[in-house]
Amino acid sequence: MDILTVIYAILLMGVLGLVLGGIIAIFVRVFHVKSDPRIDLALELLPGANCGGCGKAGCADFAKALASGKAVPANCPVSSSEQIAAISLALGIDAGKVECKQAVVFCRSFIGGVQRMNYNGVQDCVAANMVAGGPDACRFGCLGLGTCARKCPFGAIEIIGQVAVVHRELCVGCGKCAEVCPRGVIKMVPADADYHIYCNSPEKGAVKRSICQAGCIGCRKCEKLFGDKFKISGFLAQVNYDKAESVSAADAASINCPAGCLLSENDRLKAAYEKAGKGAKNE
Amino acid sequence: MKYLELTIGAVLVNNFVLTRFLGICPFLGVSKRLDTALGMGGAVTVVMTMASCITSVIANCLLRFTVNGKVVDLSFLRVLTFILVIAALVQLLEIMLQKLSPVLYRALGIYLPLITTNCAVLGAATINAESGRSILDSTIFGGFSGLGFALALILFSSIREKLELAEPPKAFEGTPIALITAGILAMAFVGFSGLC
Amino acid sequence: MNKSSRSVMTFSGGIHPVGDGKDLTNKLAVRTAPLLERYFVLLAENSGKPPVPVVKKGDKVSKYQLIAQADGFVSANLHAPTSGVVGGIVEVPGPMGIPSQAVEILADGEDRGDPPFEPIYNWENIDPEILKKRVIEAGLVGMGGASFPTHVKLAPPPGKKIDTLILNGAECEPYLTADHRLMFEKPEKVARGAAIFGRILGVRRPCIGVEINKGDAIEALEKFEDRYGISVVPLQVRYPQGSEKQLISAITKRAVRSGGLPMDAGCVVQNVGTAAALSDAVIKGIPLVERIVTVTGDVVVSPGNWKLKLGTPAIEAVKFAGGVTEEPGKLIFGGPMMGFAQKSFDVPIAKNTSGILLLPTRLAVNYEASGCIRCGRCVQGCPMHLMPCLLSTAIEADRMDLAYQNHVMDCMECGSCAYVCPDHRPLVQNIRRAKAELRKELANKGK
Repeated sequence: MDILTVIYAILLMGVLGLVLGGIIAIFVRVFHVKSDPRIDLALELLPGANCGGCGKAGCADFAKALASGKAVPANCPVSSSEQIAAISLALGIDAGKVECKQAVVFCRSFIGGVQRMNYNGVQDCVAANMVAGGPDACRFGCLGLGTCARKCPFGAIEIIGQVAVVHRELCVGCGKCAEVCPRGVIKMVPADADYHIYCNSPEKGAVKRSICQAGCIGCRKCEKLFGDKFKISGFLAQVNYDKAESVSAADAASINCPAGCLLSENDRLKAAYEKAGKGAKNE
Repeated sequence: MKYLELTIGAVLVNNFVLTRFLGICPFLGVSKRLDTALGMGGAVTVVMTMASCITSVIANCLLRFTVNGKVVDLSFLRVLTFILVIAALVQLLEIMLQKLSPVLYRALGIYLPLITTNCAVLGAATINAESGRSILDSTIFGGFSGLGFALALILFSSIREKLELAEPPKAFEGTPIALITAGILAMAFVGFSGLC
Repeated sequence: MNKSSRSVMTFSGGIHPVGDGKDLTNKLAVRTAPLLERYFVLLAENSGKPPVPVVKKGDKVSKYQLIAQADGFVSANLHAPTSGVVGGIVEVPGPMGIPSQAVEILADGEDRGDPPFEPIYNWENIDPEILKKRVIEAGLVGMGGASFPTHVKLAPPPGKKIDTLILNGAECEPYLTADHRLMFEKPEKVARGAAIFGRILGVRRPCIGVEINKGDAIEALEKFEDRYGISVVPLQVRYPQGSEKQLISAITKRAVRSGGLPMDAGCVVQNVGTAAALSDAVIKGIPLVERIVTVTGDVVVSPGNWKLKLGTPAIEAVKFAGGVTEEPGKLIFGGPMMGFAQKSFDVPIAKNTSGILLLPTRLAVNYEASGCIRCGRCVQGCPMHLMPCLLSTAIEADRMDLAYQNHVMDCMECGSCAYVCPDHRPLVQNIRRAKAELRKELANKGK
C-alpha cells in the first residue's frame, strides 16, 4: 500500500464525514420541530410499569400530563417518595401531595366459611360469582379463586387458604384488584393504616355466624370504646379511615375484638399462613 | 432472469432473516404485535432501498477510481463508509419525517434509530458491493430485500400473537418458544431454495 | 302459500344434540296439576324491574287478583294463581341461585275468582291500543326463557318499521316438549294469539316457525292458517333454531346487525306460549297465572307436561310426576343447553320456566379440559359465526381486548361450542365471564 492510498483514504473519510455532518446540521435547522424535552425526561424517570394506577393510559401518557402540568408526580402510585422527588426536581415542578393507598381484602374466611354448593366451573372469581352469586354461603366474602392475583401487575396478591392476601410491601395501590373483584371485597384504604376490620358482610350477626366463623358480629364494642375511630353501617363495623390518626396496636389490644376481626395486617397474614399449614414465613 | 433473482430471490429464496440470518435483533424484538411489525417492516424497506442506492454510488464511484491512469482501490474502507452513510441517512430521514409527517414519525419513531446499526441494511449494501451490481440493480435488490424482511417479520408476528395465547411448557414460555418457531419458519423457507 | 311446495328453512351453523330426550314426553297429553296448599309467586323476573307487591300479609285474594304492580316500563304485573290468603312477602331460593322475594299464597282450596278483564271478542276490528293495554294488564312476559315483558317488544321506537312477526315454536332445546304439546293440543289458541299480535303490530301474515320433528303440531296449526291469516313455517331440527336471531335468519334470511335487536331487522319474535296466554287474556279476560312445564329427565318416574300455577315449588312438580327413581345429579330449570342448574328443590316456577329437568348423576359429569387442539368444530357450530376457540384462549390469557375485537359481545351463550368441543373445554363459560367483565368495563368507560 503506498502513501497515496492512505492519503486518499483519509481524504475520503474526512470529506464524507464533513459533508454528511454538514447536511445533517442543515437539516436540523431546516426541519426544526419544537418539542418538550421534559416528556422524555419524565418518561425516563417513571417506573415504566404501565399499570394505569395514575388514571392515565400508561407511563407515556402520564409523562405528557406531567409536562403539561395536568398531573403531579405524586399521582404515580408506583414510584417511591425518593423517585417522586427526583422527578419533581428534574422537571422543576411541585411534587404534589396525594394520599397513598393500599389494597386490603376485607375477609378472613380462611377461619372457616360454609360452601352452599359445589362449583366446578371455570376457576375464576368473576365466572364463579355469575353462577348464582358464587359458591360460598357468604355473598360478600372473598371467593379465593385468584382473579385479583392474576390481575395484579406487581404480584402483590397471594391466595392463602381460599382467601386473597395482599402483601403490603409489594402493593403500590394502583387499584386494579379492587376494580376487578366481582364482590368488592378488596377496598383501597390509606396506606398508613395498619389495623382493619376484616369482614365485608353487612348481614345480621346471627346470619353471618351461621355461615362463617370469621365475620364481624356487629357488637359495636370498638365503637363504644373509641367512638369515631370506627363507623358502623348496618351490622358491619369498619375502621374510619377519614380520621387522621389510625387505630394503634394499643387500641386494638384494649378493644380485643370478640369476633377477632380487628387485626393488623401482619397478624392476619400469620393467621392465614398458619391456617393454610404453611407456617409464618415472613422473617 | 437477473431481475427474477433480484426480486423473488431477495424476498423468498435468500430471505434476509430466514435464510441469511441477518437482522435477527429486530426480528425478535419488535415481532410481538402485528402493527409494530408492520411499522418496522415498512421502515426497514424504505431505509434499505435508499441505503442500497447510495452505498452502491459510493462503491462504484468513490471507492475505486483512477488518478492519472493509476487505479486507486479503497474497497477496504467499504464497511466504514457504509456505516457512516447509513447512519447519516437514517438520521436525515428521521429529522425530515418529524417535520413533514408527524403521524408517520410517531408510527415509525422508535424503529428508525434501531435501523441505524441494523446488520440487514449493512448486509444488503455489502452484498451489492461484493457482487459488483450496478446502481439500479442494487436499488432493486435493496428494496426487495426490505420487503423480504417485512414479510418475515409480519409472518412471525402473526404467529407470536397466537403463541401468546398458547400454553407451552413452563420452560419454553416466551423467547424460547419464539426461537423454536423462528427455526421452523426458517426451515419452511428452505423449501424455496432452487426456485430461481 | 302452497302447502306441498313448502321448503324447510334453517340458519347456518348450529348443532344436532344427539338423544334429545323429547320422546320421554312428546306423546303425553298435558295434565293439570292438583291444587297445592302453598304457592310462592316470585316477584323478581329474569329481566326487568321486579313489580311492587300491592297485597300484604293476611289479605284475602281471589284467583286472578293483582298482587304486584309493574314498576316502570320494563316490568310486568303479577296476579294470584289461586284464591286464598297472603302469607306474607317471604324470601325463597330464586331460580338464579340468589334468594328472591316472593308472595306466599296459602290456598283456600276453592281456586275461585272471576276473570278481571272484559273479554274482547271483536279483536279483529278493535283499536290495537286497547289490545296493547290488555297485554300490560295481563302481565304477559316472554315465556321462552328471558321473561322479557311482552309489551316492550310491542312498542317499537318511532322510525323502526316492523313488517314481520315470528312466533317461536321451534323448541330446539332437548327434553322440552311444553311448546310442542301446547301447539298440538291448543292450535287455535296459538293461531289466534299470533293473529292478535299481528293486529297489534299491524303485521299482515304472522309466521309460526316449528321444527319438523313436531309434525303433528305443524298439521294441527295448518288447519287454522286460513281462518286466522297466519302461515306455518317448517324448520330444520337444529339447535339453536329457537334463538331470535337464528329464527329471523332462517325465516326471513335477514341478519340482525351486531349488537342490534330483532326490531332493527324489522322483526318481532314472540314465544308460542306467550301467544296462547295473550289469546286467553283477550278472549277469556284472564291474566297469566299458569303455564305448561315439562317435568322430565331420565330419573323421573313418569315424565310429562303439567299445567302448573306460578309459584309451584319444583319439589311439588316432581312429586306430581311420581318422584324420582334415583338421586338426581342435577336439577335444571329450562333445557339442558341454556337452562339454569338449581341448588334447591324449593325454587318455585316462574313465568319463564319451560321445563324442570332432572339429570342422572351419570349425565352430570365434570370434565377435565386439557388444551385446545384447534379442530375448529366450535367455529362450525357457532350460530353467530364467532370463533369460540380463539375467544376462549384469549380470555384464559387475560386478553380481553382481543376477545372484544373478535366480537365476544355478540355471543348469545347458546352453548353449541361447548357441546361440540371434543376436549370439553369450558368455552361458553369463559365467554360468559368475559362478557361480564367487559360489560363492567364498558359501563365504567361510559361514566
